[in-house]
Amino acid sequence: MAQQENEITGVIGPNGAGKTTVFNLITGVYPVDTGRIWFYGTETTQKPAHAITALGITRTFQNIRLFRNLSILDNLKVAFGVKSRYTLWEEMARLSRVRREEKEVAELAKSYLAYFGMEKYAEYFPYNLSYGLQRRLELARALMASPKLLLLDEPGAGLNPKEIRELMDTLLKIQEEKNLSMIVVEHHMELVMNICTTLHVLDFGKKIAEGRPEEIKRNEQVLQAYLGDEV
Amino acid sequence: MEFYLKVLEITCLFTILVLGAYLMTGLTGLFSLGQGGFVSIGAYTASIAYLQFHLPFPACIVLAIAMGVVVGFVIGLPTLRLHRDYFLLVTFGFGEMVRAALLHLAQLTGGALGVAGIPKLVGLPMILLSIVVITLITANLKRSRFGRDCIAIRDDELAATLMGIPVYRHKMKVFILSSAITSYGGALYAFVIMFIEPNLFNWLESAKLIIITFVGGVNSITGAIITSMVYYSFGEFFRFVDVWRDVLLAIGVLLVTIFRSQGIFGNWELTPGRLRFWRRKAV
Repeated sequence: MAQQENEITGVIGPNGAGKTTVFNLITGVYPVDTGRIWFYGTETTQKPAHAITALGITRTFQNIRLFRNLSILDNLKVAFGVKSRYTLWEEMARLSRVRREEKEVAELAKSYLAYFGMEKYAEYFPYNLSYGLQRRLELARALMASPKLLLLDEPGAGLNPKEIRELMDTLLKIQEEKNLSMIVVEHHMELVMNICTTLHVLDFGKKIAEGRPEEIKRNEQVLQAYLGDEV
Repeated sequence: MEFYLKVLEITCLFTILVLGAYLMTGLTGLFSLGQGGFVSIGAYTASIAYLQFHLPFPACIVLAIAMGVVVGFVIGLPTLRLHRDYFLLVTFGFGEMVRAALLHLAQLTGGALGVAGIPKLVGLPMILLSIVVITLITANLKRSRFGRDCIAIRDDELAATLMGIPVYRHKMKVFILSSAITSYGGALYAFVIMFIEPNLFNWLESAKLIIITFVGGVNSITGAIITSMVYYSFGEFFRFVDVWRDVLLAIGVLLVTIFRSQGIFGNWELTPGRLRFWRRKAV
């Protein structure tokens, strides 16, 4: 599988096909048994998960995983930590560099909240938010790490048709404004067909097709294994 | 008056230990029943260095902290990769191992007889200053990257890793820092009480530190400090009710656990901003 720069790629397939496993392998959650993974010339196959994130790969989760005891603003700040420059000793004494950087990080986090129309929730906690807002917050948190590649695991799960359309617009806007590469695992065909340039179709852990959405729609094997007459 | 001062000294000493436990259990979610082991390490290192090797008092304190850091690092290396339940069991074993070692290394530690004749070199001002400094350090850590990462690890370790937090390394920092604070508290303890023995800090004392952190509110340093002060002074002031003292405390803990699961103080902190606000309101 190859991901082109600044493109949105979709990974589709029936439940249990291995879509989330692909994400878990790319992000280092699962060890790789066979094959190798490269990211901008760096091999990431054996790297620990946190080091892969530091290289510029972030993700969202199928089941939302926000930090429930951190405020919305702090949830975003956590994602920036990978770029922080101050040391533990400086933190203990809260030296001017810490104060300065903390102020900058807070401003950046607020700008991301504003980008997603959530600035008024900055001091709330994740459990105070609706499901749709939690999804948005997870996306904002992933972007806060300034990734080069964003992996979205079923970003449309649990959203209504109106929210799905808003999500489509948001993802296209992000991709355009931030020159970001994305891989999307999703069951909502309207979403993947409209925003993805390339689709990979998985079935029982194997890739059975790859191509542009309109090609995938007509692929006999894909129709049999997954799509049926849905599209 | 002397009694009250003594109670205040002991209460403040235990509060230092609670602050060490707060970093580990409250902030990061690492449940350790081995805190008592670090108290003993600090207390014995400092008192033996003073009495047997005749080192100056500040050097004894530094040595006690250094010993806590080294042992914390050695114990943390294999245990911090363990799941929470197993970590709890291993730290329980560590605490008991320290106790057994102190009993059996009689030539150095005095065995069951303990170490007597330690001079009283620590008074209330030094203990209070220590609490202020440790509280400031803990508060500074809590409100910057370090603290956020700790809470993120406590809430969801996998999500924290995927946000770029090196979880194992971070836990190691927390464990070492907590060990250093606890050993320091132990060293002060030796020079306040003037006598130490191996059974002084068993796993029950470690469990109490965790309970206090939880009752106070895992997200609140203020809660940990105030609850610790109330808990330990209550124990001293209500000695006359004998064994019922523990029953009363247990009922209190149960009530808080059932009716206020986030702890008495929850997320609440007494910050300089809040103090200024109250002062303005009062004026």
